[in-house]
Amino acid sequence: MSDTVTKNEPPRHVASTAAMLTPTQRMLREAWSKPSFKFGFFTFTVLLLGALIYPEISSIDPTKMNIKARHTPPLFVGDWSWAHPLGTDHLGRDLLVRCLVGLRYSVLIGCATVVMMFIVGCGLGLLSGFKGKFTDTIIMRITDAQLSIPMIILAIAILGVSRPTVPAIILVLGLSGWPLYARVARSVTLSEKSKEYIKGQRVLGASDWRIIFLFVAPAVLPPIAFVAVLDVARMMIFESILGFLGLGVQPPTPTFGNIIADGRKYLINAWWIATMPGLFLLFTLTSLNLMGSALEGARNNVLKGAA
Amino acid sequence: MDRRKFLESSAMAAAVAAIPMVNGSFFASPAFAGSDKPITFLSAENLTGNWNPTAHTALSQIIFEGFVFGYLTRAPMSPDNPDEIVFELATAMKLIDEHTLEFKLREGVKFHNGEPFTAKDVKATFEYASQPDHPAQWYPGQARVDVIDDHTAHVKTKEFGYPASLFWFLSAFLPIMSAKDIADGKALTERPNGTGAFKFVKQDGNTTVLEANKDFFAGAPKVPGVNFSFSGDATTRMLSLLSGEADIIERLEAEQVDTIKSKSGFRLNQAVSVENKYLWFRCSKPPFNDWRLRRAVSHAIDRDVILEVLGASGTPSNAWISPVKFGYVDTPNYPKYDPELCQKFLAEAGFPGGKGLPKLEYLTSVGFYPKTKEYGEVITAMLQEQGFDVEFSAMEVAAWGDRLYDRPGGGPGHMIDCGWATGSPEPDLVLRTHFHSSSKRICGIEDPELDAVLDKERNATDPAERKRVIQEELMPMLAEKTPSLSLFTSVFIHAMREGLQGMFIYPNGMLDATKATNA
Amino acid sequence: MDGSASAHARKARRLYLLIFLSRRLLQGAVVLLIVTFAIFTLLRVVPGDPARLIVGGMAPDEVVVQKAEELGLNDPIPVQFLKYLGEIARGDLGNSFVRAKSGSMGGAVAFDDPSRGDRAEVLDLIVERVPLTLQLAGLAVVFALIISFPLGVAAGLNPGSWKDKLAFFAGSVFVSVPNFWLGIVLALLFSVQLGILPSIGYKGFEYTILPAFVLAIEMAPFIIRTLSVSIAQVMQEEFISVAPLRGLMRSRIVGAHAIRNASIPLLNLFGIQLGSLLGGVLVIEFIFDYPGLGRLTINAVLQRDFPLIQGIAIFISGMFVFINIAVDLAASFIDPRLEY
Repeated sequence: MSDTVTKNEPPRHVASTAAMLTPTQRMLREAWSKPSFKFGFFTFTVLLLGALIYPEISSIDPTKMNIKARHTPPLFVGDWSWAHPLGTDHLGRDLLVRCLVGLRYSVLIGCATVVMMFIVGCGLGLLSGFKGKFTDTIIMRITDAQLSIPMIILAIAILGVSRPTVPAIILVLGLSGWPLYARVARSVTLSEKSKEYIKGQRVLGASDWRIIFLFVAPAVLPPIAFVAVLDVARMMIFESILGFLGLGVQPPTPTFGNIIADGRKYLINAWWIATMPGLFLLFTLTSLNLMGSALEGARNNVLKGAA
Repeated sequence: MDRRKFLESSAMAAAVAAIPMVNGSFFASPAFAGSDKPITFLSAENLTGNWNPTAHTALSQIIFEGFVFGYLTRAPMSPDNPDEIVFELATAMKLIDEHTLEFKLREGVKFHNGEPFTAKDVKATFEYASQPDHPAQWYPGQARVDVIDDHTAHVKTKEFGYPASLFWFLSAFLPIMSAKDIADGKALTERPNGTGAFKFVKQDGNTTVLEANKDFFAGAPKVPGVNFSFSGDATTRMLSLLSGEADIIERLEAEQVDTIKSKSGFRLNQAVSVENKYLWFRCSKPPFNDWRLRRAVSHAIDRDVILEVLGASGTPSNAWISPVKFGYVDTPNYPKYDPELCQKFLAEAGFPGGKGLPKLEYLTSVGFYPKTKEYGEVITAMLQEQGFDVEFSAMEVAAWGDRLYDRPGGGPGHMIDCGWATGSPEPDLVLRTHFHSSSKRICGIEDPELDAVLDKERNATDPAERKRVIQEELMPMLAEKTPSLSLFTSVFIHAMREGLQGMFIYPNGMLDATKATNA
Repeated sequence: MDGSASAHARKARRLYLLIFLSRRLLQGAVVLLIVTFAIFTLLRVVPGDPARLIVGGMAPDEVVVQKAEELGLNDPIPVQFLKYLGEIARGDLGNSFVRAKSGSMGGAVAFDDPSRGDRAEVLDLIVERVPLTLQLAGLAVVFALIISFPLGVAAGLNPGSWKDKLAFFAGSVFVSVPNFWLGIVLALLFSVQLGILPSIGYKGFEYTILPAFVLAIEMAPFIIRTLSVSIAQVMQEEFISVAPLRGLMRSRIVGAHAIRNASIPLLNLFGIQLGSLLGGVLVIEFIFDYPGLGRLTINAVLQRDFPLIQGIAIFISGMFVFINIAVDLAASFIDPRLEY
């Protein structure tokens, strides 16, 4: 491939055999061109930065109680104050800082869970598809069994009987979602396995592991990518459900589920306590879902050869 | 706001005018069968499933028993007349000598199963329920009752060594059971059978269905029945009331009071109750078997902040009983918020600054008492500020109820939150039940000095002397040893529909629907 | 095709179905066994003492030890498991720790209290609640279809138009709204402020409406998406574009061909989404105090009622396996081309 070819972008309707970009990179570039992706990306970044930076620079402690200032309404409502832009809860704790700290936990747990599902699921799927026969059957049966246990039951059985910790929550949530990754990885592996270039590698004497990691694994990435992004959103909702039921991270650590559960009692008198975390969740999840949908559209276009 | 002002301003307290000790009129309702609906009451705590009144201490079931069982007397405990006694199953009470109390009983009363009520039932009840092996330890000791005739009973306490006058106020709190039921062991457990205005029909899920007792001695109630339902969440209870599915609910919190006030068609009843909320220490196991640690915790807590959290649902208390009870005093050495003193005690106990202390488990319930989770978090934060490592667990009321009581080796956790409400001015229902080593229901304390003072005040024959012992000896000693810390006195707030009229609410939450109408 | 050949084809198909069914049922049984064992073991290795929970708060420790021995809790786990399997085979899922036979919650009594022996059977408690949950789920599906069909079909028929974008936007918002939050807000709005729909408990069919609506919002985005994608795909296929030449009206084209073919992915979707649907049912029943299986589960967890938790988990997993098989079967009926 000469330099001139790479410098000139191939026309978009032409199949990309001439391009040097991997499918993943093409998918990402395609997604970036969509306005919905850009919007989602920026919103998410702003929220994440806010969650990481604001509680550090603000002098307000999310668990500091100030009974005299409780039930302060948010900006422009009732007798609000700049000290508490989103208002305070029933014990006088600032809602903005609490929501941002809650966002940290949500994103942390959401991402960690997806990473875990990704590694475990894809690993098992790759193994299953590549080795075939006995390994395949066993892993697929385990997948079926896992799919038969609804996440909520698992969460209840594990977290409901002992005190929930962050690693336990990640484990429970991760256990519920890995089968999908395994299945996708397996089907991609199966289809790649029979391709010519793999057979070529075998002839050259490449070991199984080398083939898996260098060739098959990258092919798994595009179909999984958008699933992973959407799953972060899904895991964040699950985490807040667990928190709402009292099975999540325990108080006084703020999480969206906790705050909404507490705020439910005061919905008539101090509606902002339950509403603000809901809005934060709404924005974060919408941005993630927009990104995920854009990625999915991009991947479809890549597959169709349009990019 | 001091106690007296508060008592003056609470609503409906004046609804019960000062009635001299007279028979019956308190209960009589003019014969008038209306087209009223049954009353649906939502209780904040679950019933226990065992109908025997001696097998439990759950307040919800005590309130339930108020509908179904009869009592020798009743104590309305209104603020302007806290010592008043009204006769129900008894018609007269006389102290014959130091160890004999005579009750003259009402004639023509029947149990719900048709059996006539006689002195034999009083004998069976007192002798059975005063046994020391029941979970409910309301009696000052065992009792013997002599049946003089069908309608006269003598309670004799000489062989057990305490004055019979203790039953004066206690008689308002002891449900009278049928002698036949007591003789037949299982009957008590399986079905509540009393002389009250409402009969037990059936248990339907979480609702106990009661119907009006047409043969009630003071006239049949106007409402056809009562549905006693357990609903373990404060928001749910309020929404049920607002949407018309419940007629009366209990245990409202301050914000809910504001909401109800803003809506038309509902009424509130707020009254200082006999209930104090306590932080109980497990005194029979480390680390709280050391009184200095208990004092350290007591001085780390700022009760004013807790009262702010409670708002209308609490009022200050500086003793281990409610201001409405006999013997209350603002104890001079009551543990105040004093971080320096807390640190001093910590150091003396061998844990300077909290170093070396094990993790302390603090348990509380949710959905039952107002704001337990909220002030629990406040207390946890206050303790952590002083260096205690506290793990706070808020749990559903049935799970909490199972962990509440003391057991050999100490009950679960190290600190547990609980209220104690007993429907009579008699202070021993709290003090002896909890702090005497023969009973020690929750805290598990066994302290001979406390036992001695408790016995002294129980055996005092002169009420004035008894009051003095309680106020000047017992309370200060409790302040020194703090087997539990009394956080505040509860203000019971009930909300009901306008259409529900004539309900009388006792300061322990018991409800009297004999004269109620429910349009 | 003459008579004997089609009869032969029918027989072959019946035989094929039988093989399919028995294979799936066997697989399902194996899966259920694994699940039961997993849950059983989980509840025994986590901290918390089942014997203590049975005898209750006030019992001395010797009584707890004795009870543990009696219940066989000191046997090795495989032995306990086999015993448990035996009980299940006889239809005995154990007794609740907390609820009495009448359905009320007990508690706070002495350890040798006679009422403790009178606890409700887990199977009874479950079977009592299932119809209500099914009613809720059924109504929710109906609502979801009502909401999703117009949006999804319009989007599928006009890809790229404003209808498509609207469906996409609606779907994105619906999927980003936490269902419990929506439930709380709607309960406040419709029940307290406006007073048109009841929101607490169950005293008649209208109590199902609000919870079902919230659940429907949760399901709708997936249905919209699946519908629009598959309708768009099907519409592109050749036989559809040929059909107008036959003089058929467009609506008949859409109705007869496209939707029928699009319903396979919908059915599959249902099977996949079942897990999160269940989570939704649990939370919604909790918020609206709806006395179905979901609320029973949550109460069981909050009260540490182990036999009930175990029984429900096994029951639900069993239902899952069953539904997945049914979905596959139904799909193969709709489209005989599918092979399993």
